[in-house]
Amino acid sequence: MKRETISRRRALQRVALLLGGAISAPTVAGVFSTATRRAWAASPAWAPRTLSAAQLELVATLAEHIIPQTETPGARAAGVHRFVDTLLTDHYATAERDRFLAGLAGVDTQARSRHGKPFAESATEQQLALLRDLDAAAYAAGRGEDTWFFRRMKELTLVGYYTSEIGAMQELHVSPFGTYRGDIPYTAVGRAWA
Amino acid sequence: MITYDAIVIGSGITGGWAAKELTEKGLETLVIERGRNVEHRKDYITEHKPGWEFPLRNARLAVGTQGAEEYPIQARTGQFHESVKHFFIKDHRNPYVEDKPFTWIQGDQVGGKSLIWGRQVYRWSDLDFEANLRDGHGVDWPIRYADVAPWYSYVERFIGVSGEKLGLPQLPDGEFQPPMEMNAGEKFVKAGLERAFPDRRLTIGRVAILTQALNGRLPCHYCGPCERGCSTGSYFSSQASTLPAARATGRLTIVPDSVVHSLIYDAAKHRVTGVRVVDTTTKQTREYSGRLVFLCASTLATARVLLNSKSPSFPNGLANSSGVLGHYLMDHHFRVGASGGIEGLLDRYYQGNRPNGIYVPRFRNLGDDASRRGDYVRGFGYQGGASRQGWARGAGEPGFGVELKRTLHDPGRWSMGMTAFGECLPRADNYVELADQTDEFGIPVLRIHCTWGDNELAMRKDMAASAAEMLEAAGVKDVRTYDANREGGLGAEPGLGIHEMGTARMGRDPKTSALNAHNQAHDVPNLFVTDGACMASSSCVNPSITYMALTARACDYAVAESKRGNL
Repeated sequence: MKRETISRRRALQRVALLLGGAISAPTVAGVFSTATRRAWAASPAWAPRTLSAAQLELVATLAEHIIPQTETPGARAAGVHRFVDTLLTDHYATAERDRFLAGLAGVDTQARSRHGKPFAESATEQQLALLRDLDAAAYAAGRGEDTWFFRRMKELTLVGYYTSEIGAMQELHVSPFGTYRGDIPYTAVGRAWA
Repeated sequence: MITYDAIVIGSGITGGWAAKELTEKGLETLVIERGRNVEHRKDYITEHKPGWEFPLRNARLAVGTQGAEEYPIQARTGQFHESVKHFFIKDHRNPYVEDKPFTWIQGDQVGGKSLIWGRQVYRWSDLDFEANLRDGHGVDWPIRYADVAPWYSYVERFIGVSGEKLGLPQLPDGEFQPPMEMNAGEKFVKAGLERAFPDRRLTIGRVAILTQALNGRLPCHYCGPCERGCSTGSYFSSQASTLPAARATGRLTIVPDSVVHSLIYDAAKHRVTGVRVVDTTTKQTREYSGRLVFLCASTLATARVLLNSKSPSFPNGLANSSGVLGHYLMDHHFRVGASGGIEGLLDRYYQGNRPNGIYVPRFRNLGDDASRRGDYVRGFGYQGGASRQGWARGAGEPGFGVELKRTLHDPGRWSMGMTAFGECLPRADNYVELADQTDEFGIPVLRIHCTWGDNELAMRKDMAASAAEMLEAAGVKDVRTYDANREGGLGAEPGLGIHEMGTARMGRDPKTSALNAHNQAHDVPNLFVTDGACMASSSCVNPSITYMALTARACDYAVAESKRGNL
């Protein structure tokens, strides 16, 4: 059990005590059903519904480069690729989904033209070099329409990572319930709130 | 058939208040609600749910995306997210026709929009109640601040309002619990702004959220998203506050899933005698009888009920001998303002999710020469706040990998934003009427005609420019203005403020208004309208507390009149 999880649970239990047991059943279920969310996050039965196995691996690889494992887990462990597949399947309008998939294909096209291999099979240093170029182009002044994909991929990686349990609770932290302190030293907190 | 002492149509902010006041005064009261039942606590199905438990991570469900299919209108508001979609109406259940873009945001449940409202509460002043008389737009209000002030206090003491007293004539103080604290960025802007503009103030929002326990409701625990419902009852909603009080009297009956078709009028008695509803599940029609009817269905739904209550005596809609019913529709115009960054203060941060921002009270056209504008009448206030940038900033900057992750481990610079809320003039050509088509319940739908006028558009220029001027004077850097309004398009269209009001205005003269000084229909003594439909002008402050005060005041009058045998 991670320290952060315990402190969050303690905070929630404090709220539950404040409520005198009045906290609603679905609320408690929502907060404490660790088993449920683990099942959703990494069930062996999970399978992508929009991305092919190769596309899923490409998304996972790109995401892990954007937010890699350090002393805390990275994007792949946080399931960013699964989140992206869910968004593409259940949220994106068709045109936007197609645009994203075309952008994804474009990464492989560029990798092939550079090294004759799809991105995921290229050497790590080749992958990083391509990403540096994509990143530079994506934020350059007068950037073209074709840089949309990388900005979106980065955005989805950040959303998928920092709203995951790993990103929110291990890398960053969630403000405990019960208090608001409007103006405190940053040293009393030490990292960004999720 | 039972004859109720009173029938209240709607269970939102005003319907809940009418139910509480009427039952507490001894009336057997029936509340009719078009939406489903929502039980306090039990039905707050997303409360305290962490982000990762939402498949889309609580995405904003924008128009055209999957998840918003049944909500093409509701999805226009930025408040429409995965976590709260169940508290918005499915648009096919109440379609309407837009002549020009008008966004009608609605709840469809017991509690109405009181579950998802913004909770900001500001008293009107005589600057507002006298505005129509002074500049000739609209008709004079039949009441003044002194008539409503005790009812504001009465309401504030019951709902619980936290805020700071300022002693400003244009924004009267109320009965406040201790204010929430500002953060370092807000304190910085406040100091600079008030130094540069001694006649202007920046204060913490006055908000219907408890900072101290009240009547069994607990102070805010700062989880953040109030709009998911609050099991501690820390913000005012019908569920947490008024309906339990009404229920405690033993005189409350609520029927959900019942949309009102029309009111039943007895021409011989000159009274409404009941309400015709359609059961939204079975589509069967039912009738209820009552001695007194309070229309609290929300502005446009109330107008629709009255317009559809036609009889030989009132061929153009009930209580409409004046012909003004449906007209003088207003909303606050907003989504215009400025934002920028603050240098330094990187050693300051905050803890907890404060569900409240800052407020800059109106400073234009206060009646003196110094504040008078030549280009528009009335005024505006600002809502906003400061925060330190979070991880999302990473998507807007180059960089990735370990370095990016390390950067996002810490919060970014402080940023400060201000959005103006401006008064909208009452105009006859902003109106609703019944269209030829009917909804799935057989009720004619509304056709809405509403646009911003020249006064609003002129005001918007100042709303943006003044925000930038104040932020810059306060020392904020990289200040940018914005205005989301797009002529004839979506962005800051009428309705989006969700402060729609007017259509059955109060007034002194039965020939030019629908309601008298007590929210009583001039034409029908036992009919009261106390939601936003009653408004004769719009002020620039959030309207809900004024609706609550007018409702409590009208209930007091109605019961007294009833006892005198006048209803």
